Amino acid sequence: MSALKDISLSAIAAGFVAVLISYAGPLAIFFQAAQGAEISTSMMSSWVWAISIGAAVSGIGLSLWLKVPVITAWSAPGTALLVSLFPGLSLNEAVGAYLTAAAIILAIGVSGSFDRIIRLIPPGIAAAMMAGILFQFGVGVFTSLESSPALALGMLAAYLLFKRLFPRYFLVFLLMAGIVLAVLFEGASLQGVSWQLAEPQLIRPEWTLGATLSLAIPLALVSLTGQFLPGMAILRGAGYGTEARPILTVASLVSMPMALFGGITTVVAAITAALCTGKEAHPDPGKRYVAGVASGLFYLLGALFSGSIVLLFTSLPVTFVALLAGLALIGAISSNVAAVAAQKDHLEASIITFLATASGMSLLGLGAAFWGVVFGCIAYLVLHRRPVRQGEGPGRAEPAAIRR
Amino acid sequence: MKHIEKGVSLRRAPGDFLRDLNADNASAGLVAGIFGLSAGVIHISAGTAAGLDSAFIMIWVISYLMINGLFGLFMPAYYRLPLPMANSIPGALLFAAVIPVVGLEAALGATLIAGFIALVAGLSGVMSTVMRLIPMPIVMGMIGGVLLSFGLNMVRPLENAMLPAAIMILSFFLSARLIRKVPPLFVSMAVGIGYLMFTGVDFSGIQATVRFPEFIVPEFTLAAFLAYGLPLAIILVGMETPAGVGLVKGMGYKEVPANAITAVGGLGTMISSFFNLHSTCIAAPMTGICSSPEAGERDKRWVAAVIAGAIFVVCAPFYGYVVSLIEATPGYFIAIIAGLALIRVITSSLAIAFSGRKHEMGALFAFLIAASGIQILEIGSSFWALVLGVMISLVFETKDFEFAKGKQAVA
Repeated sequence: MSALKDISLSAIAAGFVAVLISYAGPLAIFFQAAQGAEISTSMMSSWVWAISIGAAVSGIGLSLWLKVPVITAWSAPGTALLVSLFPGLSLNEAVGAYLTAAAIILAIGVSGSFDRIIRLIPPGIAAAMMAGILFQFGVGVFTSLESSPALALGMLAAYLLFKRLFPRYFLVFLLMAGIVLAVLFEGASLQGVSWQLAEPQLIRPEWTLGATLSLAIPLALVSLTGQFLPGMAILRGAGYGTEARPILTVASLVSMPMALFGGITTVVAAITAALCTGKEAHPDPGKRYVAGVASGLFYLLGALFSGSIVLLFTSLPVTFVALLAGLALIGAISSNVAAVAAQKDHLEASIITFLATASGMSLLGLGAAFWGVVFGCIAYLVLHRRPVRQGEGPGRAEPAAIRR
Repeated sequence: MKHIEKGVSLRRAPGDFLRDLNADNASAGLVAGIFGLSAGVIHISAGTAAGLDSAFIMIWVISYLMINGLFGLFMPAYYRLPLPMANSIPGALLFAAVIPVVGLEAALGATLIAGFIALVAGLSGVMSTVMRLIPMPIVMGMIGGVLLSFGLNMVRPLENAMLPAAIMILSFFLSARLIRKVPPLFVSMAVGIGYLMFTGVDFSGIQATVRFPEFIVPEFTLAAFLAYGLPLAIILVGMETPAGVGLVKGMGYKEVPANAITAVGGLGTMISSFFNLHSTCIAAPMTGICSSPEAGERDKRWVAAVIAGAIFVVCAPFYGYVVSLIEATPGYFIAIIAGLALIRVITSSLAIAFSGRKHEMGALFAFLIAASGIQILEIGSSFWALVLGVMISLVFETKDFEFAKGKQAVA
């Protein structure tokens, strides 16, 4: 085992923090989706088990295989999308759509056309759809100010303080401060939280056209543009010349069995990846893959005790989860809105996408994100496409990223 | 008065007007005037959405056209620059939203104070100081958040009135792309009215009325000032004037009377407050039309602004006709027209807020807070958006502030 001598404490710590942040922030969004779907706590723990196992297996496998710190997670914008679709969407339909989305990503991964396909989507429109999906979460922070002012103000202050002092790890501190504030101001009781092992539950997939168009396709799209694109950019920015093909292939293959237990698409982490790819993980880039393996092992631990994680989140007030999710996504909203504004040549089409997605409209049974892209693309073709396309390709800006 | 810039001459203006008049500036002036008239639709939809009485909305819009039009005759004629005057659209939306909360007289009292602040800002030349205090991206983030609901309301009719909504929106964008000279807003409205006639909407109740601005005495309350007067003053001084001045400068005019535009706008706003109107200021979109190269030779573009002002004054008393026309239409019609009229304002405010890479976080918080529409201590979200936006920006983006520039090297 050559891997044994590569082990370092710093890499393990980086992996641990990455997992902790995933459970602190993005998991809150998943809980909002679960609350919207009105499912039982045992079903919730099956979901958490599935996303954790998916991230664990793909993260360990890819990191060991490629010797690169590949941090995987579940699709954060994808779960945000879920929140808007439940409870109109049935669990079985959701699982069917997860499988379809995984198949789309697999096909793109195997064919090696990731970069080409990403280039086809006008970057402003992709960013605008992300901003539109995430927008409600940001606004939710401030509507909580009206319903539970003490908790909201406290968490807002904690967010500002920790974001200023510990920008990297603020989510972990925010989670802890938030729990304290929830107990103090909202009378939340943690007595019901106990050690509880996961009980995975099998869900029968069901395919419908509506779920395919309003969940599967937008899910594949936001996973590719909101997770794989920035995730790959972070890896490449850290000096790893890794190809997208094995990562997309493995992540989507792992997604499939996990989907049957309620796990949403497994993707490359964007929020936490940078923690494990930099110098903090290990001075030697060749040994940072240990951080990826470590994060996978911590995910396994999380999977084992997913019952306890669910109990913790369900014993906290709904506003707490909304605040945590919203504050965790502030950075992502900011970078996506900035990406929209940066694409000056198709600004109006992007704004239309944003408006349609943020409106939460549903038309012919299809969700707002789908229509956002449809209307945005129509507006793009009507307004911005030049009849003569010689030479000047659309300039790609910074990826529309979920960033810390 | 030493900060107020000197103009050319008012006495010779009528003669020079005839001398400089040509097809280019006449057509640009016509388009700007029509654009300004159609802006009344925003007042009507905002007022209706806020539950205001339709009779009040009418005298509001009539005052807007009459008072702003008179100032719009004077400013370009005196300075010989394309400086059309109109009212602040974000201000109009705030005004409509705040009336049910604080009452009309109190809102107008806040308008009077806001106008006075603008007058003082212009007379004393403190414009630049105010600009430093509240960074433009944060103001624009707030505006974007306030206006966002109009954009969302434009999209929502697609759910239950898909066909008319789709053809109105599509015709707007197709005409924006294909027919440059006709305002897309008018094409969209014509298409919408055509659809309504075709499906048999009853227009028989429409009647032409003649009305004039009505006098009213404002009242002063602190709540109205905080929720509306202060944001309005900031909009007038910190947003409308710089936007208009920037536009004119951008079109190649070297000497632009920034202080006079602020002061005259302030004086006009003070007068406005006695006539159910919320502001008088330079109008950025109309300024764009009047000062653009399409208005012909640069030295003669001022004529376009004068024509726009004249259209306002002449059309004002008959605006009731438009109001009753609009009342006969279903709700989505106005929602879509208002959204389309504002989409460029929303787009440019978001672009200004987020493309400068400065005060991004403050702008985002201002945007989200304004969009959330929360009310704390009876004070509206636009105020909190500015306060929290600036505070957050002070903490996180200290180096983006003008005053920090001297001390810190560019990162």
